[in-house]
Amino acid sequence: MNKEKEDKRNDEIKELVLARLNVMPPNYKLSVGNKGTFTKDQLIESVKKGDEIGQQIVLIQMNFIKALTSGKLIETLNQ
Amino acid sequence: MKRLTNKMNKTLLITMPKYDDGTEYLSYYASLVEKKAEELNIDKKSFKEGDITANNVSKYIKKKDPKLIFVNGHGDADSLEGDEGEVIFSIEKNINLLRDRIVYARACHAGISFGKKMVEENNGCFIGYKTPFSFWMDERNSAVPAKDKTAKLFLEPSNEVVISLIKGNTAKEADKKSKKMMVDNMSKILKMQEKDEPGAIGWLEILWNNFEGQILYGNEEATF
Repeated sequence: MNKEKEDKRNDEIKELVLARLNVMPPNYKLSVGNKGTFTKDQLIESVKKGDEIGQQIVLIQMNFIKALTSGKLIETLNQ
Repeated sequence: MKRLTNKMNKTLLITMPKYDDGTEYLSYYASLVEKKAEELNIDKKSFKEGDITANNVSKYIKKKDPKLIFVNGHGDADSLEGDEGEVIFSIEKNINLLRDRIVYARACHAGISFGKKMVEENNGCFIGYKTPFSFWMDERNSAVPAKDKTAKLFLEPSNEVVISLIKGNTAKEADKKSKKMMVDNMSKILKMQEKDEPGAIGWLEILWNNFEGQILYGNEEATF
């Protein structure tokens, strides 16, 4: 995939992550490995900034999308 | 040369740090494993906040030779932590202490290098994560993790690894049972999503991250 397409795809995934985070109720926090615990607003800020946490969240989303589009998630749930 | 018999003590070592929200939850859930071990009359040693140092833990392992080690807390590709900032096991310094043992590390990234190195040329087994072990928590209950039904979706399946082991299952079975619980919880979350629970897809993504990230290296037939 060329750089332009890849950047576009990454932006789309970022938007998807932000959309998911926006609907998360404000009382939920996410503990991410050894990086700490983050509120919804902090996660949104991180994704927009593209910092380490933001990148990690986007990566998690990308892996989830791969699992969804490849059928792996459904296959796993149906085992 | 691999040992054919293992005469280690049937003792469970648990680390329970408590210095941030994440470790507070991990330690609460580790306490449930402690209770289960008590019910099953399993000999155990818990290291709690302030005591989880490389020196204390190493001394105990050399003296008491525990078969199963349950590490809660933070980590990276090459090491596992105890108290805040205190590395208790690392590839560089003392990974050999863990030879032939079963280690479950509820910490992030140790599955990348640490776990693989730990089981090289011995009969040990490592279960851990190659991705950051993550979980959502409901802040309304964060002072009382026991009441947090959201965090339970992530942490109960994780506890199942150790609970299965102390019940006598092999490492492979323990990993499988834990993953089955994660799959069951993913199905529960999907049903919540169908009922328009607003956070559900976000929970599903993170649980999938833990499911895919959970790895087993080494002797999968290892038993406690």
